Amino acid sequence: MFEKSLYDLIRGLRNHKGNEKEYIQKTLKECRAEVRSQDMDLKATALLKLIYLEMVGHDMSWASFHVLEVMSSPKYHQKRVGYLGAVQSFRHDTEVLMLATNLLKKDLAATTPTVISLPIATLPHVITPSLALSTLADLLPRLNHSHANIRKKTLVTLYRLALVYPEALRAAWPKIKDRLMDSNEDPSVTAAIVNVVCELGSRRPHDFLPLAPRLFELLVDSGNNWMAIKLIKLFATLTPLEPRLVKKLLPPLTNIIRTTPAMSLLYECINGIIQGGILDSAEDIAGADEIATLCVNKLRGMIMINGDANLKYVALLAFNKIVLTHPHLVSQQEDVILECIDSTDITIRVQALNLVKGMVTSDNLVPIVSRLMKQLKSSSPSKDRRPPGSSSNTPETESDDESQTAITAPTVRDTQALLIPDDYRIDIIERILFMCSKDNYSSVLDFDWYIDVLTQLVRMAPVPRTFDADTGALLPTRQQVDVSEKIGDELRNVAVKVRAMRATAVRAADVILDQLLSDNPVGHPLSSGALKSSIWIIGEYSIQLALPDDSLNGLLQAIPRIGKPEIVAVALHATAKVFSSIAGSDVEPWTSERKSRISLLLARILDVLEPLALHPNLEVQERAVEFIELLKLTAEAASGQPPSTDENSQEPPLLLTQAIPSLFTGWELNSVAIHAQKNVPLPGGLDLDEPIHSNLGRLLAQTDIITLQSDEADEFEVYYHQRPPPSSISSSAPAISRLADPDDDMASSYQQLSEESYLDADILAKRKAERMEKNKDDPFYIPSDNILRTSTPIHNILQNHNGPALDIDSIPVMQLDLEKIGTTAAAPSRPRPQPRQRVIIAADETLEGSDSGTGRQYDSENSSGNLTKAKSKKSKQHSLLQVDSSTIGSFSLEGNASEGFDYERQQREEAEMQQAMKEVERLRLEMQRANERIQMAQGADVQGVVIKKKKKKVAKKTAGDDENEPTKVKPKKKTKKVAAQTVEGGEPGGVTEDTPGSPSAKVAPKKKKKKKAPGEEVEATGEAGSLV
Amino acid sequence: MYPILGARHSSNVTWSSQHAVTCIGPTRPLSSINIPPNRNRSLGDDEPRFAAMISAFLVFNNQGQPRLTKFYTQLDTSIQQRLISEIFTLVSNRPAGSCNFLPLPPLLAASSTSHSSTEEQSDVPSLVTYRHYATLYFIVISTSTESPLALIDLIQVYVEALDKLFENVCELDLIFNFETLHATLSEMIIGGVVIETSLDRIVAGVRAQGTVAKRPVNEGRSTIGSGMGIGGNFAWTGRV
Repeated sequence: MFEKSLYDLIRGLRNHKGNEKEYIQKTLKECRAEVRSQDMDLKATALLKLIYLEMVGHDMSWASFHVLEVMSSPKYHQKRVGYLGAVQSFRHDTEVLMLATNLLKKDLAATTPTVISLPIATLPHVITPSLALSTLADLLPRLNHSHANIRKKTLVTLYRLALVYPEALRAAWPKIKDRLMDSNEDPSVTAAIVNVVCELGSRRPHDFLPLAPRLFELLVDSGNNWMAIKLIKLFATLTPLEPRLVKKLLPPLTNIIRTTPAMSLLYECINGIIQGGILDSAEDIAGADEIATLCVNKLRGMIMINGDANLKYVALLAFNKIVLTHPHLVSQQEDVILECIDSTDITIRVQALNLVKGMVTSDNLVPIVSRLMKQLKSSSPSKDRRPPGSSSNTPETESDDESQTAITAPTVRDTQALLIPDDYRIDIIERILFMCSKDNYSSVLDFDWYIDVLTQLVRMAPVPRTFDADTGALLPTRQQVDVSEKIGDELRNVAVKVRAMRATAVRAADVILDQLLSDNPVGHPLSSGALKSSIWIIGEYSIQLALPDDSLNGLLQAIPRIGKPEIVAVALHATAKVFSSIAGSDVEPWTSERKSRISLLLARILDVLEPLALHPNLEVQERAVEFIELLKLTAEAASGQPPSTDENSQEPPLLLTQAIPSLFTGWELNSVAIHAQKNVPLPGGLDLDEPIHSNLGRLLAQTDIITLQSDEADEFEVYYHQRPPPSSISSSAPAISRLADPDDDMASSYQQLSEESYLDADILAKRKAERMEKNKDDPFYIPSDNILRTSTPIHNILQNHNGPALDIDSIPVMQLDLEKIGTTAAAPSRPRPQPRQRVIIAADETLEGSDSGTGRQYDSENSSGNLTKAKSKKSKQHSLLQVDSSTIGSFSLEGNASEGFDYERQQREEAEMQQAMKEVERLRLEMQRANERIQMAQGADVQGVVIKKKKKKVAKKTAGDDENEPTKVKPKKKTKKVAAQTVEGGEPGGVTEDTPGSPSAKVAPKKKKKKKAPGEEVEATGEAGSLV
Repeated sequence: MYPILGARHSSNVTWSSQHAVTCIGPTRPLSSINIPPNRNRSLGDDEPRFAAMISAFLVFNNQGQPRLTKFYTQLDTSIQQRLISEIFTLVSNRPAGSCNFLPLPPLLAASSTSHSSTEEQSDVPSLVTYRHYATLYFIVISTSTESPLALIDLIQVYVEALDKLFENVCELDLIFNFETLHATLSEMIIGGVVIETSLDRIVAGVRAQGTVAKRPVNEGRSTIGSGMGIGGNFAWTGRV
């Protein structure tokens, strides 16, 4: 068979463009055969090819045993391939790792430096605690090797050993320290030590304080910028522990900052000063100020340098660290930072965003959010290009809200609009929400503006991505939380907390619902996450609805189209609430007009609710059934009550005016702090572990029987479950909603005037109208006529419709407590400085004396709740590429560090080692057996005869004779030589071990000996292992 | 005649017209394109440069095909591939003049939120540095405690070392000698910790390992030349 070199493989890949997959499969098959061959050259070549294919994504974990074989080759270039294979393919669960131990130990003791380097470089990739334990003793002497290169590598490998097996550090540290103190040491080794010490220092700074003088000496004298960077990093972790260091460090650091031409060193100096807390060391105020200003100015210079994006990035990184302690210093740089928010480079943008989040105040909130909104807005076109019809393919996940913005609000767009990934859009939206809701909305001056922003955000929120099955299974992504749901929650928070803004919020919720209904073509489910909160607001504050009938209409239209059951449940409740506020008035006389209106309403609601009684979701079903029954009763009561005539006044049915409204009125709902529940004191006699009833099961069973008995009321059931004749009322929107249209037309004329180009036209129009409304009593404000004209029809219609009792004008800000009267006067003054709108923002309710809650008490739910969740999740979950070094943090170098190896421990280790060796031997035998089986199955493979599926059968056959294996080895070995020349199909093809120089017959006796004399096991396996 | 990477101080490197024909695709010397003037030049070549705890070192070409993958923590092959493709998507969409740092790919971002850059999480890989040479991207994934600017230089040193070893290195050299790539890397980084940044020492370390580096270069070059025809029609779409 023609054997390919790696070069042939690569060339072959090139020549098989189009069907590489096929070619690779073929090659893999060849490699499988070749890697089993007895010829070590062939084996190594095959392995090299496998490693290459692994790089392209073809798993080679099956070949781990062959990797081990090649590793044991006496030829360096083959050995090197083997070790490379180990580095690239071994995982923690690779079983042959156990077998590799002896080989690693042997190669560590080799005489050639290049050979020694191989296991040293490989160990960090495959290290396990047991491997660390057994190789430590071989690795330690390498610290004194004559080659600096070996010393250097050993050092780092020891560090990696210590990460999984902290005891290693105890033995190695004295030696490493000696090397560090030795001023005659090769500078590159010293630098490597500094590097390792820096790594260790960030975990256990205390242990390295005694080294400070030597490290300081290195920093000042070495003139090696790269080592200096590391040293500065190390000192930054030391200074908080030893404030006296600051005084020592400041002169050289300032000196470096002033003189060094190396930007990276300059940056790291500044960084070190920031991280070391040198800026806020109280000792020398004037000096600290001076250095802080120096740093900030240098960083500012870095951002200003034209064209070097890298410096911009690192400067922002540094600012991000300073902002934690010195926000005022950073906010002085607002201009350059805001510049970066609009950078074309997303990395820089994200950093700038991070910064902005920290420095937002009530003064700059509006401009900052405006900038971000503009970015979002200008990036929407990428979404608009999608034809609206295309959503029909994936109706489950699509909500077309933003695709419609283009139609409703054609605005001037940035020509250089970037294609912003959804991740980033979500990020921006979350940050806007965070900034605004920070400290319980302390930065928001104008809640009208905020609610408009929220309304706009709902439209711009990216569609939640289709849930990727394999991604989701592996890692919970942030995508899972629909960002529009967060926006909706934010609107709800405002509605709940800011009483003065409730009416506006309700209107916004109404607008959102309308928008969603009109944007999604009929027949498509509504899936926007904002729906839940909007519907809740509409229901809870239905009193404040401008057009309750309209909203009810919208709800009824929406309910059958809502996809998520939990939203349907909320919508059901909201429907009942809105109905109660429409129909529940006990002042309005019970006229025949009212009677028929209510009957019609009830019929329509029942028509929508009834299908939901069979909803698969239990919550929805339960609520639907409850309300259906209640409303049916109401309908009966309403039809039974004769309308009042002129002479005979009749009361409306009590069920309508008393019972239903009382379900929903009562306590006002307030926001509760997240940790409030924790602070509820546990009642004295409460034992949650105590069973409620000793025989709960029987009780429950009894209730089952009882319900069965009560099932007899069939007639009743049938009566209520019969569908009423279809109602004649169409569910299309009433004419009133169409009358509102002039509003939109007017908007376009005002759009150009507005500087807020990020808001959609209709929202802008609304703002405008509101402003007019507020200013109409202001003698200094000259109203334009058309506004008044457009506002009157709505006004009139409302009055006609709802009766004079309800005045739309009174709904917005007018309904204020006495103390809030200032609002109306304050809000209109658009030009800044803008006085704070005097609204009361309710804080989250919590209990007194709470420890856990106080810190976050003033954060709104969105900002803190999710963040803390994310934090706690993160701390538990390890990152993908993370090296776990948590063990080393708890490990102390002090104590008996000087003792180094103690014998007792060594003995214990040896015992452990023996145990491990037994395990190794067992595994080795197993592997060998498995291998023989495979070999038998595919023995003829090498010769080009493809035997498929035989492997299994043979494996089954041989599975039975495990017991006699050691004795069987011998005959097989003998046949090996035969097999090499003449292959008999199905016959054992020989073991894969190929150890030139050692007669294969020797193997068997050795193994036997081991079985007999377990005392010598270590030694014996040592030899046997080296044969592998 | 060809400028080796040593001529890095000038960003507009010139090369002979003869080469200009042949350096389409992967034969283009890495030095031929856009090596930005290095701001850290003053650090000198002989000094060791440091950056610790690197999580992965990757090389792939303009089509996203891996040329070198080295993960300093153990990862499944499939996850490795996904990470590579995620980074490739990020890196290939960078506008001109962007900085050499990438936002976190979703796979990494999922486990460490980019929001809280402020916290101490020195172990979490949260810095993705890249450099683009001719047809290749060089990526370093590291913890945020690294010096970002030093990492940029680290990649530069690596490429320079390869350039010295292969004499005017190009993508094809790297494809056919990926073993040497690994060898060079292991002279610079052990277990995620940088041990050597001096060019000469790295090159000497690789050469000490034997003749491996030299032979395949000539073989690779010449055979490719004759085998594929090095004329103007030589177009490498890089589907390996």
